[in-house]
Amino acid sequence: MRRPGAPYRRTVLTRSSAASSSADRRHFDTVVRVTALVVGLTFTVPGWLVLWRALRSDRAIADLWSELVPPFWRTVQLATMVSVSAAVIGTGLAWLLVRTDLPGRRLWRLLLVLPLGLPSFVGAAAFIAGNAPGGVIYEVLDLIGVTPPRRLRGLGVSWIVLTAFTYPYVLLPVSARLLALRPSLDESARLLGRGPVATFVEVTLPQLRAAIIGGSLLVYLYCVSEFGAVQLLGYDTLTRVVFSTRQFDRATSFGAAAVLLVLAIGVVSLERWQRGDAAVDTRSARSTVPPTRLGWGAIPATLACVAVAVVGLVTPVSSLATWAQRGIADGRVDLGDLVEPAWNTAFVAALTAVAAVAVVVPVGIATTRLRSRIGDVAAGSVVVGFALPGLVIALALAIVTLNTPFLNPLYQSTALLVFAYVVHFGSQALASVEQSLRAVPERLRESSRLLDDRPVRRIVHVDLPLMRPGLLAGAGLVLLATVKELPATLLLAPTGFGTLATEVWSSYEDGFYAEAGAAALALIVVSGVLTWLLVLRRSALVADRPAG
Amino acid sequence: MRTRLFLSAVTVSGVTLAACGGDDGETVTIYSGRTENLIQPILDDFSDETGIDVEVRYGGSADLALLIEEEAAAGDAKADVFLSQSPGSIELLDQNGRLGELPASTLDLVPDNLRDTDGRWIGFSGRQRVLVYNQDLVDPAELPTSVFELTEPRWQGRIGLAPGNGSFQDFVTAMRATEGDDAVAEWLSGLNDNGAESYPNNNAIVAAVGRGEVDAGLVNHYYNFRFLAEDGSHPGRNHLFDTDDPGAVLIITGAGVVEGTDKPDEAAQLIEFLLGSSGQQYFAEETFEYPLANGEQPAGDVPVVEFGEIGAIDYDQLGGGLEGTRTLITDAGFEG
Repeated sequence: MRRPGAPYRRTVLTRSSAASSSADRRHFDTVVRVTALVVGLTFTVPGWLVLWRALRSDRAIADLWSELVPPFWRTVQLATMVSVSAAVIGTGLAWLLVRTDLPGRRLWRLLLVLPLGLPSFVGAAAFIAGNAPGGVIYEVLDLIGVTPPRRLRGLGVSWIVLTAFTYPYVLLPVSARLLALRPSLDESARLLGRGPVATFVEVTLPQLRAAIIGGSLLVYLYCVSEFGAVQLLGYDTLTRVVFSTRQFDRATSFGAAAVLLVLAIGVVSLERWQRGDAAVDTRSARSTVPPTRLGWGAIPATLACVAVAVVGLVTPVSSLATWAQRGIADGRVDLGDLVEPAWNTAFVAALTAVAAVAVVVPVGIATTRLRSRIGDVAAGSVVVGFALPGLVIALALAIVTLNTPFLNPLYQSTALLVFAYVVHFGSQALASVEQSLRAVPERLRESSRLLDDRPVRRIVHVDLPLMRPGLLAGAGLVLLATVKELPATLLLAPTGFGTLATEVWSSYEDGFYAEAGAAALALIVVSGVLTWLLVLRRSALVADRPAG
Repeated sequence: MRTRLFLSAVTVSGVTLAACGGDDGETVTIYSGRTENLIQPILDDFSDETGIDVEVRYGGSADLALLIEEEAAAGDAKADVFLSQSPGSIELLDQNGRLGELPASTLDLVPDNLRDTDGRWIGFSGRQRVLVYNQDLVDPAELPTSVFELTEPRWQGRIGLAPGNGSFQDFVTAMRATEGDDAVAEWLSGLNDNGAESYPNNNAIVAAVGRGEVDAGLVNHYYNFRFLAEDGSHPGRNHLFDTDDPGAVLIITGAGVVEGTDKPDEAAQLIEFLLGSSGQQYFAEETFEYPLANGEQPAGDVPVVEFGEIGAIDYDQLGGGLEGTRTLITDAGFEG
């Protein structure tokens, strides 16, 4: 247990206690490695099935490849552009929200996370609906004297829309990292006369590098597996091949999914290599530095937040509200119908968030503390699960449980549904979990080892409190991904189990816009409430520094 | 906390399993590609009338067909009835031997051309292919009588279609049967050369027409009725091609009983209910569709049309079926 003010000094140990402690430690390390391996292997199940099915194809690989090359490059192009812009926006906003005296930052911390809670198909539909007379985009462009474009389609618009829906993947982990970062270096830089911007770029940014790259990787994989939004925006990617061939040319469909898998493995390896061991400064964990005073800079800073919120939140929400309001006005929409799906959504999302964080912690310990090769492979397996479209994961898990006698009872159970979510979204917890493990100072761990030789107790009393911001950020990302998940929910949930996302889809699909709008707004409310209750309220992100 | 949550997950799944496991023959499980808004009320009526409970899994027709395929391949069919929005998905299951034979008394409820040739699935409602147009942007006098006119220069850059969507592909498949592959290939490349825009589905096309993003689009007739019901100021209107034109084909929804179900009687009873008078009137009046059972009439707003050589298409006789259709669509330069 940590004693405040206890000196971090190596004490001389008696031989016997040193021996038993190091045996305990080896035992603990082995358990971690084995657990990480099992977790990693479990996450690869859908991937193996995809490869196996793809290899059964009787189509020549060269022939298949030539069909896949153009959408492959389009996918890479979009994913690269969106990850770069999301990295810039997410990092910039994180700094504004955590390190400055930006007015209303507590509210912004919640609002600017919410675009992640909107399913992309309805988000994109609501976004482009804003480009009609009376819509936000149309009226704003008209107001500033720009003729609204006739069509919002193609790479440019897909880039903007996906950036607006994914930057929170960078914002959340970078905010968590900023909170856990030792401020003294910043202070020194400031004392040496560096301005806030120079301090940020030269001192803070290098320490955020791993969090930024980790978040951008999630954005990249999101774009790779995205289907609904890019389809609606008329931009053709690899997922279109997966979907359009899924019925009558299944080998090609699984082949295209296998290409997604290989692309993801490549990007994940690149990220792991790029990030290296990134020995982050971990000597302190709580920021007590007074926030940077923005002064007049608060105006452009606020405008930046407003601009991001307008694209990612205000535009889609105003379209959804228009749809919903028509139905509520004439009584077609009964909000009471949304209570059960809302409860189901909150229940599975919270369960998944907790499960995902718990499952990836051993993997994180293996990669960060044990620097284990097994850990790296397990981490790669966890991350790749995000690159496969949810439909592919759902079908793969259906095939596996249906054909394995002892797993058969799990088919279409809540347990399998949560498992599918965890496989799909575990990666979103992993980056934050790894960050938070790095945030526990090595010397603090050493001294705690001397005071208490029970590893589990040490984890609970020493590690967990320090890891809290990162764990909560990871849980938050998983939560927001799960609330809007659709394809796995449709196929794997117990029959008759509806969530808000399935409500949105089912109403939208056949043009019941009023109901779709109401359910989508309910989804944003549930996302907001859950993010607040389970994540923001419990982390320093909202509690804020007393000095702030 | 973690343990408790985990336990509650196990409890919930246990309860669900128990609910599914009740093998008293009183619950029919339906996999429905038709969405809840368009079918749940009539399924509730069925339960009220017969005392047979229904459990419904909603999803896309193609995805549910894949799921039934995997369940059946594993010898563990969960669904008793499949309701498909498009003939393509249910025909796929039929070709793979996953559907049971329907009783002759059920099949006789509709004309021959509105059911599967070997009697394993049956149409229960119909949507007609139409041209939806924006009445502020298109002069009704210039509206085409045939779908073939859309490759003419005056429609340059004005048309939206959904090359990857089931009902568009079903329509192209029907067109291949009547016009031949060469004519269809030529028409599709003509459309692409003419700058036709691709959308994911009917819904997106009607929305795009409403916004004026395209002037007109090839869709099922039903969607524009929904848009008008949502928003009276929506400027989209349906235009019918001539009745003998391939562009005016009727796309039927299909119902079938999954092979190996232990409730074939209840399943057939459900399908007969959908084709009975109250079922058919529901589709006519509540979902603006065409009833298919002999002697039933569409609702007032829906134009009465004569259905000629249309209905269930014999995919076996079209080399490659829907796969061939998709090849034609992609060869024409669309992203099918």
